[in-house]
Amino acid sequence: MKYTAPLAHMRYLLNDVFEAGKHWAEMPAFAAIDSNTVDAILEEGAKLCSEVIAPLNRSGDEEGAQIHNGIVTTPKGFPDAYRKIAEGGWVGLAGDPAYGGQGLPKMLTVLFEEMLYSANNSFTLYVALTSGAALAIHAHASDELKQTYLPNMYSGKWAGAMCMTEPHAGSDLGIMKTKAEPQADDSYRITGTKIFITGGDHDLTENIVHLVLARLPDAPAGPKGISLFLVPKILVNTDGSLGARNAVTASALEHKMGIKGSSTCVMNFDGAVGYMVGKPHQGLAAMFTMMNYERLSIGIQGIGCGEMSYQNAVRYAKDRLQGRAAHGAANPQGVADPIIHHADIRRLLLTQRAWNEASRAFAVYVGLQLDLANYHPDHDTTVKAAQRVALLTPVAKAFFTDKGFDACVLGQQVLGGHGYIRDNGQEQLVRDARIAQIYEGTNGIQAQDLLKRKVLANGGRWMRDFILEMEQDTLLASPVFASEEDAVLKACSTLRELTLWLVKQDKRDADLCSSAACDYLHIVGHTIYAWLWLKMIATNPADTDRHVLGRFYFGRLLPQIHALDAAVRSGPDLVMDLPVDKF
Amino acid sequence: MPAYRAPLRDMHFVMNELLDASSHYAKLQGCEEVTPDLLAAIIDSGAKFAENVAAPLNAIGDEHGCKFDNGKVTTPPGFREAFQQYGEAGWQALGIPAESGGQGLPTSVGMCVNEMIGGANWALNMYAGLANAPVTCLIHGGNEAMKATYLPRLVSGEWGGTMCLTEAHCGSDVGLLRTKAVKNADGSYTVTGNKIFISGGEQDITPNIIHAVLARIEGAPKGTKGISLFIVPKVLLNPDGSLGERNAVHCGSIEKKMGNKGNATCVMNFDGATGFLVGEPNRGLNCMFTFMNSARIGTAIQGIAHAERGFQGALPYAKERLAMRSLSGKKNPDGAADPIIVHPDVRRLLLTAKVFAEGGRMLVHYLARELDIVQHSADKAAQDAAEDRLALLTPIAKAFITETGFEAANCGMQVFGGHGYIAEHGMEQNVRDSRISMLYEGTTGIQALDLIGRKVLLNGGVNLNLFLDEIDTFCTGNASHSEFTAPLAELSKEWRTLTGELGEKAVANMDEAGAAAVDYLMYAGYVTQAWLWARVVVLASTKGDADGGFYQAKIHTARFYFQRILPRTRAHLGSLRAGSASLMAMPEALFIF
Repeated sequence: MKYTAPLAHMRYLLNDVFEAGKHWAEMPAFAAIDSNTVDAILEEGAKLCSEVIAPLNRSGDEEGAQIHNGIVTTPKGFPDAYRKIAEGGWVGLAGDPAYGGQGLPKMLTVLFEEMLYSANNSFTLYVALTSGAALAIHAHASDELKQTYLPNMYSGKWAGAMCMTEPHAGSDLGIMKTKAEPQADDSYRITGTKIFITGGDHDLTENIVHLVLARLPDAPAGPKGISLFLVPKILVNTDGSLGARNAVTASALEHKMGIKGSSTCVMNFDGAVGYMVGKPHQGLAAMFTMMNYERLSIGIQGIGCGEMSYQNAVRYAKDRLQGRAAHGAANPQGVADPIIHHADIRRLLLTQRAWNEASRAFAVYVGLQLDLANYHPDHDTTVKAAQRVALLTPVAKAFFTDKGFDACVLGQQVLGGHGYIRDNGQEQLVRDARIAQIYEGTNGIQAQDLLKRKVLANGGRWMRDFILEMEQDTLLASPVFASEEDAVLKACSTLRELTLWLVKQDKRDADLCSSAACDYLHIVGHTIYAWLWLKMIATNPADTDRHVLGRFYFGRLLPQIHALDAAVRSGPDLVMDLPVDKF
Repeated sequence: MPAYRAPLRDMHFVMNELLDASSHYAKLQGCEEVTPDLLAAIIDSGAKFAENVAAPLNAIGDEHGCKFDNGKVTTPPGFREAFQQYGEAGWQALGIPAESGGQGLPTSVGMCVNEMIGGANWALNMYAGLANAPVTCLIHGGNEAMKATYLPRLVSGEWGGTMCLTEAHCGSDVGLLRTKAVKNADGSYTVTGNKIFISGGEQDITPNIIHAVLARIEGAPKGTKGISLFIVPKVLLNPDGSLGERNAVHCGSIEKKMGNKGNATCVMNFDGATGFLVGEPNRGLNCMFTFMNSARIGTAIQGIAHAERGFQGALPYAKERLAMRSLSGKKNPDGAADPIIVHPDVRRLLLTAKVFAEGGRMLVHYLARELDIVQHSADKAAQDAAEDRLALLTPIAKAFITETGFEAANCGMQVFGGHGYIAEHGMEQNVRDSRISMLYEGTTGIQALDLIGRKVLLNGGVNLNLFLDEIDTFCTGNASHSEFTAPLAELSKEWRTLTGELGEKAVANMDEAGAAAVDYLMYAGYVTQAWLWARVVVLASTKGDADGGFYQAKIHTARFYFQRILPRTRAHLGSLRAGSASLMAMPEALFIF
């Protein structure tokens, strides 16, 4: 499978649609970044992904991660490739320069993450988990812990893992049982079993830094009694050298549908030495800081898969000769026409493309909001951006991965029966993409988060502000695109009315919001994509090809909003009335 | 994987209550003996086979897969014995006419058994399903000698069979196929060529495999009008009927696939193999299509199978798994949390899987009934009407039920959260296995083109209008159930209108039909399901809370379908009305990366 990073679209988004340079100039942390550096990073990243990482994707799936006597080995080529990206400084791309990170804006690094996921989901997860763990350490750990661990994580010398889920506690972390016993030296002893730990053990790095959620002996029950601990696989001596093996081991790997090159471990903590990160009982909050980044990253997995599937499907559709085009032979010399001339094949391809490009634009937008929230000197700007991040992260995670999965299924469909065959790569993308709808909070959980915590909790105010932003931006677009503007404004009013209705209904019916949440999230996603498609076509009205893509989105995909709106408004009784024993 | 339980209560409901099996069979020639008791006995014994023999091999089949070594294929442990039991129990013979050595039961009875065994283990079921390919071809085109030679041992399950159609360069476009047949002095043919994606092309289950092969006789016209059908046995027969020489047909390799791993998907090389012409030269596709039409309904059953499996797998998990509290107050105050079935979003997933399993079942068994009429009715007008109805609804059933079956399988998996992604729970296998159903036997896109082209526009909308007239009559006759019949009548009207619009657009631009096809098919599928669910409501509302609330549950489910699923017609309508311009405008070169 050949991967070519969609650099032209990426540059267009950064430079033209979102005018990154203008924003960076306002943020001292990024003021030094110029467009040459950005270009060089994108091009080098693209090369690394196509030449080093993508070639390990199929073999990684066939070989899978293996465990023997508690030692996990990754597929052939993974350790070398990891060394290469570590040496290039790619693991610490967004890390704090004070600890050896590259300090690059999220708005840019989301694009590199997409390339990584396109090239190889399994491989990328080891990188993503390391960045996520580093982020939580950076935000909440003591300076001593930061000094000890961050430089080695940013440099790719050590990796990271997040240990949250237990066999009986997944979406409901409040019921977890892992214990942490305080020791005289201020360290803790951690005991318990964690499951579904991505990169819990592997042979890519000499050490692995686990972030573990556990309960102190005096902890209250429920989510308010959970603390966060840093538990290294190998203890670190005071001089920074590696010391004794800690009592944390992988006891098994899961056999999974996909992401087989990524080790999904059962981790046993048998009195392992750990250090508290942040305050007692504040572990979930600490974990949630990083969660926005992780959720966005997992969302981007959806985009990466969708893009790769599109590239494979287009290549096939141009080569495969089958049937004659309805409008007359397109390849009269050949026995049949390339299938890209059939309207229904184009529908599949363009649907993928329309989701991918809008998702990419939305990822850059959310990346920008994260940057503004963290680095902008103006307080009001950071507050507003932080609200946007909180509001939009669940949408990004769930909508990217739902649409990314759909895109992969469509890309598989283009290949017909050949899409079902492993060698052709399309079925692997479906299998790999499927997990992204589940982990980091299932998309059902994302939808609950959006509607309950991010919309209803503030009486719909955050959503109202964001709709206003979309509307104002839309009114600035060139009158050439009047019908698209009209469609965006209509979608905005549908969303506004629905939000108001839900705010009102919520007071009367507790189940309503939960029954509406998934469909509501998709309506929000569609409205945003309509806005972003308009923005993409209106930024450069001369680009008539992009206008064709935009028209496709408005004409053929946006109508889904009507079905969703009707489903939400049907209310909760339809899902709640059936007695449990009648299912 | 959770145990498979045959959905007997629902099957009984669909067959006997909704479709009134006893008066249906009474009207068919030679089917009078199919009383409700006999039907129940057959279904029960099929259920036992499905639950006790087929289901336990499902995960094993996936895990072991088929192995290929030097031309030989080894199927997963237990498959051979299960297939033997299948044949011995008479399941292979069930729907085959008595004069061909079968039990002569109506097709609809076989479909019930097929759904259960397929639901239990699709990969295993396919060996039996494909053995029907040469059977059907022979029944419709074979001469008496051929029938006598092959049918008894195919029908008894002693031998397997295949359908060899696809070649590396031709799948949807059969007209491109190249496999050659040269006539020999003795009237047989020498068949040479390569076929791919041949399900059960080689296996270690039966001592002989009878391939139904499409090939071109030397000098045949190009395209689809030059294709003939041949029977090519893996092992040639001696004059006394005993197994003789190995024929020159060999398996070159098997495919590594996403799922359905217990069923061997073979590359078959015909290197001058001896074959026997079935039917007239150059008329092979007609003969094959007889099989393919019923095979398409057979594939639709796969959609039900995976929807049912997704639902059955998810339900006990949703009742047992404790996570968080119900929003409307604790439901399990003594536990650490409530079972997740109290959460509306989990219910949405379960109900979605449920409506697609039950809805698919209604449509398939409705079509099976039409097949019975075509095959067994003495009334020519009834036969023609059934034929027309089948023509219209078969592509809808195949594509819609497999698409929604995949969705339902995914819903079932989603209920499990991260555990759904792990092999041991079987939910991810169910998703992988179901994915093929939208690809083989004509992709969803091909079904949609068949529907909108051949079945609707080229037919001048005649069949469609008859169907919609029936829906309208039903709605008028049941106006008291206006919650369901009023929106259904509106949709029927809209379906007519949009078909007219499309017809006009397609005259001006042929791409319009292709551009609208899949949205049109899905729209049609949702409305057809709405009609069936409305019929369920009319029936169930006369039963009160009989049978432990079974009928009340049906009404709840129908209401869920109407209000939360049926609005999807709005999306498909909007999309198909947008026309072809945005699809066709982008130059090929600009599909760049």
